[in-house]
Amino acid sequence: MGNELTRFSTWLSTALKWLAPLIFGVLMVTVWEVLLLVINPENFLLPRPSEIFSELIDDLSKISDDRSKIWAATKTTGFIMITGLFWGIVWGVATALLVTLSRAANETLTPIAVAINAIPIIAVAPLFNNWLGLTSPRSNQMVVMMLVFFPIFITTARGLTQVDSQQIELMNSYAASKWKILRSVRIPNALPFFFTALKLVAPLSIIAAIVVEYFGGSQNSLGALITASASFADYSKAWSVVVAGSIMGMGLYFVALTAEKITLARDRSPRLLLIAWQKITGRTTGA
Amino acid sequence: MEVVSISNLSKIFNTGKDNEVEALREIDLTVTKGEFIALIGPSGCGKSTMLRLIGGLIPITSGELSVNGKTPTKAREERDYGMAFQSAGLLEWRTARKNIELPLELMGWSKAERIKRANEMLELVQLGEFARSRPAELSGGMQQRVAIGRALSFNPALLLMDEPFGALDEMTREHMQDQLLDICHKTESTVIFVTHSIPEAVFLSTRVVVMSPRPGQISSIVETNLRAGDNTADNTKIRNDERFYKKVTEVREALYGK
Amino acid sequence: MGKKLFLLLNKAAVRRILIFIAFLVLLALAYTAYKAFGQALDDRQRDWWFIGSFFPRTDDRNMPPILDILSEFGKSPRIGGETYISQLFSGALFTLREAFVAFVVGSIVGLVLAVLLAQSKLAERGVMPWVIVSQTIPLIAITPLVVLWGQANLDFLPWEWKTWMSVSVIASYLTFFPVAVNGVRGLLSPSSEHLELMQSYGASRVSILWKIRFPASLPFLFTAFKLAATAAVVGAIVGEISTGVSGGQGLGKLIFEFARTYAAAPERLYLGVIGAGITGLFAFGLIVLVEKTILNSTGQQIRE
Repeated sequence: MGNELTRFSTWLSTALKWLAPLIFGVLMVTVWEVLLLVINPENFLLPRPSEIFSELIDDLSKISDDRSKIWAATKTTGFIMITGLFWGIVWGVATALLVTLSRAANETLTPIAVAINAIPIIAVAPLFNNWLGLTSPRSNQMVVMMLVFFPIFITTARGLTQVDSQQIELMNSYAASKWKILRSVRIPNALPFFFTALKLVAPLSIIAAIVVEYFGGSQNSLGALITASASFADYSKAWSVVVAGSIMGMGLYFVALTAEKITLARDRSPRLLLIAWQKITGRTTGA
Repeated sequence: MEVVSISNLSKIFNTGKDNEVEALREIDLTVTKGEFIALIGPSGCGKSTMLRLIGGLIPITSGELSVNGKTPTKAREERDYGMAFQSAGLLEWRTARKNIELPLELMGWSKAERIKRANEMLELVQLGEFARSRPAELSGGMQQRVAIGRALSFNPALLLMDEPFGALDEMTREHMQDQLLDICHKTESTVIFVTHSIPEAVFLSTRVVVMSPRPGQISSIVETNLRAGDNTADNTKIRNDERFYKKVTEVREALYGK
Repeated sequence: MGKKLFLLLNKAAVRRILIFIAFLVLLALAYTAYKAFGQALDDRQRDWWFIGSFFPRTDDRNMPPILDILSEFGKSPRIGGETYISQLFSGALFTLREAFVAFVVGSIVGLVLAVLLAQSKLAERGVMPWVIVSQTIPLIAITPLVVLWGQANLDFLPWEWKTWMSVSVIASYLTFFPVAVNGVRGLLSPSSEHLELMQSYGASRVSILWKIRFPASLPFLFTAFKLAATAAVVGAIVGEISTGVSGGQGLGKLIFEFARTYAAAPERLYLGVIGAGITGLFAFGLIVLVEKTILNSTGQQIRE
C-alpha cells in the first residue's frame, strides 16, 4: 500500500516535470487570448492566438493542392537554414579540430573568432548579395553559415583544448598517439561544449535566415511573406508566418536537445550515438 | 550543564522511496558544557549526518534531540552554534576579514563592531596581517584558520566541525590542532568534531564516540581526556605519551569491532 | 585612471588586439590578391559540380579595390555635404543608444526572471522551456508592427514614443535571454557548503540571495552581458533595417540605404559592414573592460 503510494508520487513528480511547461504554456496562451478579448484593441501587433492559429491552419490546409504560401515559404527558408546550419557546424567543428593540432594556431585563431563573433554578421548580407547574386540562395546560406560557424568553432575548440592536464599526462604515459588522445580525452570532453553551442545556434539560424531575407533572396520565403503581410496590414497572417518559423526553430532545438541527451546519456563516449542509432533503426552490426 | 542531548534518534533519507537509506539508528548521546567530542567511524556511518541533525540543517526522522534545551532549528535560528566544514568554504569575493564578518553582518552588528571583532579573530588564528587578502591568496591551512575564526566570531558556545583539518598536510594539521585546543580553552567552547583520523580524535577530545556503519550506530565511547582538565599541558608531551598510544589502540580496536 | 586602463590592457590583451589587426591586414591582402588572380581560378572551376560558379566575380563593381573603399569614407553624397565617415559615426551613436537601452531593459528583465526562476525547481521547469522557445520566435521580423503599435497605443506615456524606442524594445527581446539563462546558472552555482553555512546562521532567503547567490553569479552574468551587448547591437541594426521607416538615422538605416544604391557605389556596402563591425566590437570591448575591472576588484575568475 505504502509502496504503491510512493510509486504514485514518483510517477507524479516525473509527470510534473513534463507537465509543468505544458501547463504554463497553456496558461500563457489562455491569458493572452482572454486578455485581448476583454480589452479588445484594434487588430494591431498582437492578434489573438486563436486568430493566428486559424490563419495558420487555413493556409496549411491548402498544402494538398499546392496553394499553401506558408508551406512553400517554409520549404525555401528551411532549406537555407538547414544547409547553412549544416555547413556552419561542419566547418566549425573541422576548424576546432584543426586548432587542437597546434597551440599557436589555437591562440591565434580563437581571439580572431571571438572578435568576429562580436560583429553583427547580418550586416554582411548585402555584401554577399553583391558577390553571389541578389536572388541566389547562396548568399543567404553564407550568412547563416557564418553566424553558426563562429559560436560552434569557439565553443568546441574550448572543449577540445581545455582538458584536464592530468588526463593528457596519463595518456602520454601510455605513449598514446595524438589521434588516440583526441578520441578518448579531447572529444569526450568537448561534446558537452559542442551541444551547448548547438542549442544556441539552432534557434539563431532561423532568425538569421528570416532576417537576411529582408536584403534579398527568394520572394517566396518566410521573411518576404512577413514583410508582404505586414505591408497589407494582414497582421494575423504575419503572425502565423512568425509562428511557422518558430515551430521550425523549436523543432531544430528539440533535435539538438535529443542528440545531446542520447550522446551524453550514460557516458560521454561518442560510440553511444552509434548504439542509439542502432536502437532506433533496430539494426545491429554483428557482435 | 547539558549542551546537546540526543535520545533514541533515527534518521532515514528518502523514506518510502526506492533509494531509501537508514543513516542513523537509535542514537543516544549527551554532551555537557566544555566537552570536546570526537565522532569517528568509517565512511558512510552517518557522522556528518549527525552533525547536520544537531545543527538543524536537516530534520530528524524520529527520537529526540535538543540543543541548549531547544529544538535544533530554534537553536540554529538563535545562532547557538558555529560550524566549520572540511573545505574552508570561504566566499572567494570577500577578503579574509570580510569573510569573518559575514555571520556578524547577518546578526546586525554595526560596522565598527564587526571590524573590531574580525580583527580580534584574525589575531586569534594568527592571520593578523592577512586581513585584506582574498581566499585565493591564502594557503589551505590559512583558509581553514579563517573559517575557524569565522565559526568562532560570534562567540557561539557550541562548535560543530566536520573534518575541518581533513584536507591539510600533517604538519599544518598538528599545528591547527594545537591552536584549536588553545582557542577552545580560552573561549570555554563545547565542540563536536567529526574526523577520520584516530590520532586526531584521541589527541583533541575528552571523549571519542566510535560509530559503525549501515545503519549508523554508536558502537562504543572511549574516554580519552588526556589533559584531565589541565589546559596548560604540553601538547608535544601528550603526543609522545604512552597513554596517547594506548588510547589510540583502544579506539582502533573499537573501530574494528574487536 | 589612465594608469588603471593601462593595467587592464595587459600583455595578453595587447597581443590579441595586435593579432586581430594583423588578421585584418591579411584579409585585405587576400582580398587584393584574389581580385588580381581570382577570376582566372573561378573561370577554371566554373563547371565543377560541387563548387560551380561559387566565387564572386572580381570586377570593380563586385569587388572594389581596398583603396577605393577607404577613400569612400571621406566622400560625401553631395559636394559640401556630410562625409560618409561622419554619417557612419553619428549613425553608430544613434544605434548604440538603441542598443544601450535594449541592453539595460533586457538585462533587467533577464535578471528579474532569473531570480524568480532560481526560487523553485518547478518554476524553472515550467518556464525555462518557454524562455528558450521565445528565442525561436523571429520577433525581430515584426519590428514594423511594433513601431506602428507603439505610435498608436503608447501616447499615455509622459514622453513621446519614438521609432527608435520600438527598435530598442525589439532588440531587448534578444538581450534578455542570455542574462536569464546565465543568471539562473549563476544563482544556482553556490556550493551546498556555502548554503549550509548560511542556513547555520539562520540566514533568510533574501540575505542568502544578496550575500551568496548574487555575488557568486557575477562571473556568469558578465558572460551573459558580453553576449547581450553583441545581441543588442545586432538587434538594433536589424530592427532599423526591418522598420525601414523614416526617423531613423542609425547604422541599420545606412546599411539599408547603401545596399539600395549599391549600383552607384559598391564601395559603400563595405563602409556599412565596417561601421557595423567597429560598433559591435566597441560594445563588446566595453563590457570586457567593465568585466575585468569589476571581477579584478572582487577577486573572481573571468569565465570564458
